[in-house]
This record gives sequence, C-alpha cells and structure tokens, in this order.
Amino acid sequence: MCLTTISWPIYGFNVASTNLSNLSSPVKWALSKQCMLKVNGSTNINKFSCVIPEYELPDTLTIGKETNRQRVKISGSMVLGVQKFDCKNPMMTSDLRKILKAKSFPRLIITFEDLSSYPDPANPGVAIKGFVTIELAGAVKRFEVDYQYVMAAEKRLRMTGTKTLHFSDFNIVPPKRLGGMIKTNNELNVEFMLNIKILN
Amino acid sequence: MMKKIIFTGLLAGVVLSILSYGSLYFGIKFFPRFFVDYNNPLFDSHGDRDILFYTHAFVISFALSWFWDRFKRLFHGSILWRGLEFGFVYAMVSLLPVMWITFSAMDVTAFMVMSWFLYGFAQSVIAGILFAKFNP
Repeated sequence: MCLTTISWPIYGFNVASTNLSNLSSPVKWALSKQCMLKVNGSTNINKFSCVIPEYELPDTLTIGKETNRQRVKISGSMVLGVQKFDCKNPMMTSDLRKILKAKSFPRLIITFEDLSSYPDPANPGVAIKGFVTIELAGAVKRFEVDYQYVMAAEKRLRMTGTKTLHFSDFNIVPPKRLGGMIKTNNELNVEFMLNIKILN
Repeated sequence: MMKKIIFTGLLAGVVLSILSYGSLYFGIKFFPRFFVDYNNPLFDSHGDRDILFYTHAFVISFALSWFWDRFKRLFHGSILWRGLEFGFVYAMVSLLPVMWITFSAMDVTAFMVMSWFLYGFAQSVIAGILFAKFNP
C-alpha cells in the first residue's frame, strides 16, 4: 500500500479520509509535558477547579486499527500524580488530595482504549468519542469520553477529552462538613488536555 | 440546686441549639464565601461525628449552667448586665486561651478563630441571660 494515499495526519494534514483500512501500521502518539487534567466540582457554597498542570512522565500511545465499525484502537495510558492537584487554595488542595486518598493511591491512571474515528485535520470540529478506563482512589471505571481536537502544528495534535463523573463512581463519599451544612456535590466535570506529537 | 442546674442547662441547650444552628444555617446560606475555608481536611468530612456537632449546644449549656450556679453571686446588676458579664468572663477565661492555642497550632485562618470566639461569646451571653432570669 502506498503511504501517500493515506489520509491520517501523520502522513500530512491536507487530505481527509475516514477509511481506516488505509492505516497499515500503528501510529505512535507521544504525550508531551503540556498535557493537563482539570477537575471542576462544586459544593453548596462554592465552586472549585483543580488542575494537574503538567504531565511529568511523558508517554507514548500506540494508535492501531480495528476492523469492525471503524473504531481506532489505542493502547497506552497517562499516569498522573494525585498529589500534583492544585486548586489555587491550599486548604481546598489538601482537601481534594485527602478526598481522593492520595496517600494510599497516589496515581490517577487514564488508560485509552479506542476512538470512534481518527482525528481528521480537515474536519476539526467533528466530535469524536472514545472509551477510557480511569483508575482513581483504588477503583477502576470505564467511561466513554467526548473529545475535541485541533491540529496545533504539523504533527502536533491537541485533544481535549471531557466527561462528567461522580465521586461515587470511585466509591468516594462526597465530603460534608459542619454537620452536613456544607456539602460537596457528587458530580465532577473532568477535562484532560492531551498535547500530542505524532510520531512515525 | 441540681434541679435548677439541669433545668436551666436544658433550657439554654434548646435555645442555643435553635439560635446557634439557625444562625449557622443562614450564615452559610447568605454569606457562603465566609465558609469556603471549611473545605479543609482539618474538619471532619464523613459525617460520623455529626451527633457530637449537634449536641455541642447542650454540652456548653450544661457546663455553663453549673459554672453559673457556682459563681452567680459574683455577677451583679440587671439580668442583661449579669448575662453580659458572665459571657465576658467565660470568653476571657476559656475562649481566648483556647482560640489562641488553636490558631497557633492549627492550619485555620484568623477569621475562623475570630468568628469562633464571637460565636462562643454570643452563646455564653445568651446562656448567662437565661441563667440570670431562671436561676438568679
């Protein structure tokens, strides 16, 4: 198969296609240090936004192909330190780390499983979805995440995954204080930004 | 004597429960930004001590009722004045040193400590007024 006929970004950014069968060999995505994860939550008195601002252990994802239904298979994961969460308020930061049991389970691991389609540089607005498993606070849960992406530069892809999760998904009871007068809501909006360098 | 201590302690407990938890509830509802710092691991977050939290008004009421009965002869003047002086004595003897050591040793804000001081002072004044009225 001639590589020049293939439409994936690794082969150039000017041709679009959704024909997965053209992807003859796995593609490598290098996750850069600029990857980040943001968690937005709320209590009955305030909202909080906590960030793991950078990815300290850059890793590589392998993007393969899956023959059925054109889903793109991914293998690889992103490992983040729960102790790196920063809520811009020292008390809230230490509180979140405690809630997420950072001492016992210091790592948040996002393992990528697949994508509904390969990011198409010609149609960056097209939403794609993908399954991930998230390991947090000693619990592992599988979710379908919505992604948006932009081509940041040649062979540079920026993907943002968003998902609404619940503390209870990870067997965490949302904290309440002062006899339950201050309550943290169960819902969390998680957003992770992947800064990807496309290899091969 | 013991009956009076228990009765006035119980009465003050009921009144302080309503006023204390009511004011806390409305304080959180209308001035939420003052309570943001309670999202802090220093404060119990599991709810397993809620019963202790909500019985605090009775604990302080019975303690103050006993203290009042023991030293009420030292407080003179009108009911209001006796209550105020009683609250002031409690605040100086008990609250101030406790708040001082709390602020020095724990990761809490000065605003929190000040609010606890004023909260305790208000509780003891209200209790003192009730004691002056019902156990003069």
